[in-house]
Amino acid sequence: MLPDATETRPIEGVGAFVLRLRGLILKELRQTFRDKRMIGLLMIAPMIQLLVLGHAVNLDVDHVPTLLADEDRTAESRAYLDGLTAGDAFRRVGVVDSAQVALSEVSAGRVPLAVVVPRGFAADLGAQRPTRVQVLVDGGDSNRAIVAQNAVATYTLRRSQALIAARGLPAGAALAPVRIETRVFYNPSMNSRIYFVPGVAATLLLVVTLVVTAMGLAREKESGTLEQILVTPLGGATLFLGKTLPYALIGLIDLGLVLGVGTWVFSVPLRGPLGVVFFAGGLYLMTLLGVGLLIGALARTQQQALVAAFFLIMPAILLSGFATPVENMPTWLEPVTRLNPVRPFVEVMRGVLLRGAGARDLAPQLVTLAGMGLVVFSGAAAVLRRRLG
Amino acid sequence: MPSEPETVVDVRGLTRRFGAFVAVNDVSFSVTRGEIFGYLGANGAGKSTTIRMLCGLLAPTDGRATVAGADIAREPGRVKRSIGYMSQKFSLYADLTVAENLDFYASAYALSGRLRAARMDEALELAGLADRRDALTRELPGGLRQRLALASALLHRPPVLFLDEPTAGVDPLARRAFWRVIRELARGGTTLFVTTHHLDEAELCHRVGMMVDGRLVALDTPAGLKATHVPGTMLSVGTGAGGEAGTRAVMAALAGMPGVHGWQPFGLRVHVRVDPELAGPGRLAARLAERGVATADVEATEAGLEDVFLALVRR
Ligand SMILES: Nc1ncnc2c1ncn2[C@@H]1O[C@H](COP(=O)(O)OP(=O)(O)O)[C@@H](O)[C@H]1O
Ligand SMILES: [Mg+2]
Repeated sequence: MLPDATETRPIEGVGAFVLRLRGLILKELRQTFRDKRMIGLLMIAPMIQLLVLGHAVNLDVDHVPTLLADEDRTAESRAYLDGLTAGDAFRRVGVVDSAQVALSEVSAGRVPLAVVVPRGFAADLGAQRPTRVQVLVDGGDSNRAIVAQNAVATYTLRRSQALIAARGLPAGAALAPVRIETRVFYNPSMNSRIYFVPGVAATLLLVVTLVVTAMGLAREKESGTLEQILVTPLGGATLFLGKTLPYALIGLIDLGLVLGVGTWVFSVPLRGPLGVVFFAGGLYLMTLLGVGLLIGALARTQQQALVAAFFLIMPAILLSGFATPVENMPTWLEPVTRLNPVRPFVEVMRGVLLRGAGARDLAPQLVTLAGMGLVVFSGAAAVLRRRLG
Repeated sequence: MPSEPETVVDVRGLTRRFGAFVAVNDVSFSVTRGEIFGYLGANGAGKSTTIRMLCGLLAPTDGRATVAGADIAREPGRVKRSIGYMSQKFSLYADLTVAENLDFYASAYALSGRLRAARMDEALELAGLADRRDALTRELPGGLRQRLALASALLHRPPVLFLDEPTAGVDPLARRAFWRVIRELARGGTTLFVTTHHLDEAELCHRVGMMVDGRLVALDTPAGLKATHVPGTMLSVGTGAGGEAGTRAVMAALAGMPGVHGWQPFGLRVHVRVDPELAGPGRLAARLAERGVATADVEATEAGLEDVFLALVRR
């Protein structure tokens, strides 16, 4: 029998490399998406966490001590202020008759919130002219400030709608008769949620990619499948790429999802070039996946891999400046925070999203991320080759 | 057409230490093309450690070996291209389907195009899973799983195959089917190195090496091993309706009987290895009767590898 002229032998060279890498990536993705828990961990958990954590910021604030300033001293102004403090949101700490007093109390930090009804409030309403109420907020506690401001706004909107209805105007003519004017002290943008999202995104990527890669490799070791792979001619480089590329892809998709939720649910602005965020995300993922594979290569069991991953994750989050500003940490910790990839990535995200910074402004962070990525990635490749090759 | 047997696996003084512990101790042997080489030994004897060194998974501490002409220490890449390996653990992906597992290994061995399709079909055929390509591997019975593992280790048609306890946990019928495949491969020229602790399987090997505590203590054909290590006669004593209690009574009576080297329950019979002077079945029956066990059912039988193994371990 004559041998078939086409492809009667395994192929060699670049073709073989591509074929092997494709096979490995396909296998990783099939395994990942076969496991429902894995889909949950990789795709759904980040969304839920972001939603929960994002909302947790403004869930637990009520009974805000509130100073009332009634400059109008009419039945209408009294009714407005009584209604405001009737619910659980605000606790009336006193009533004064001048905006000046309220201003000095808030700016001195003696009371976090003051609501001022200016002179002419009742007259404006009577003349069917729009009028305004002033809210003075101590922004130092930004969560509380946001809640307080929102609660005043909600209350005022309801009252306005009641007034519109009482005058027999159609709902469509909803030009609010009472407008709110807010003045915030100390933290004018009150961007706590906005400030929060980049940190959450960075830590979610950290947890997901580190745990999945470390556990994935440890699992292959534990079950003996790694040994089976190692007797095939599939080389160390192929194995390394096949074990990182699928998760880099999933990580970037996660980043996109988190940014989407941040934008739509929490109104995080996207002021700068999104490409820079994803570029930084790619570099950040190189470090995380490299560390994940290092853990997987050194751990003997999945259990060990999990413990080691969390042992690194906790300090990485705490020392990232994500919750506590790095400036507030003891100085001896400063060098440690410099080794933390979470920090520059959070800085890039905040810079691009909130300040509209571009690649040039963020060059130091990008260089740091690239350096870390290359060192860790090639280090992990070398260790993997030595330990398993 | 007779030809010089071609040496495919050549092992010289192979040694592996783990710390102070010597798992494989100065082992030498060679395996020729088309041979089924059985590696027999108790748990911890060093069987898997030997195989893992020969597959390039573990570096030897001392000694050297070539597999299909490639040195295991210096050319592990060449070794990997010429071997198939089934590890002791089930090492396919339990969460992938039959076809997905084969697909992965076909890629790992860089099979493409028509060759890939043909080899995958052949593998499904060999595993007897042509109609269950989409079954999750986890859900297959043990025997089928092992055949699938064998089929995927054969995708690239390796000239040498290392099987580490391939039939562990497989039912007797499936074991027999598995061994039919092994013998067919050998007839086709594949060289097989098989570890086992099933002695009936060792009987099916062309030659058997016996490992005790890291040392290769005997190496020969099954018949040769028996002739060398359990010479003399093997008698088989039946206990009639006595059942297990009868078997125990026979063994109790054998204890300390002169001329008796050893015995071994064998179903409801007892195999007794005796000096030639006790060789006649009648003589043993008489001795047993003296000790209060009356049985007329004593016959000559053949020694098994189990007897060889016990003799070697006892030494
Ligand atoms: N990686 C290792 N580290 C330390 N000891 C090992 C290692 N691998 C095997 N051993 C020891 O070497 C001995 C032989 O093991 P192995 O070759 O697996 O035996 P077998 O396959 O014959 O049951 C055992 O005592 C085992 O505990
Ligand atoms: Mg073993």
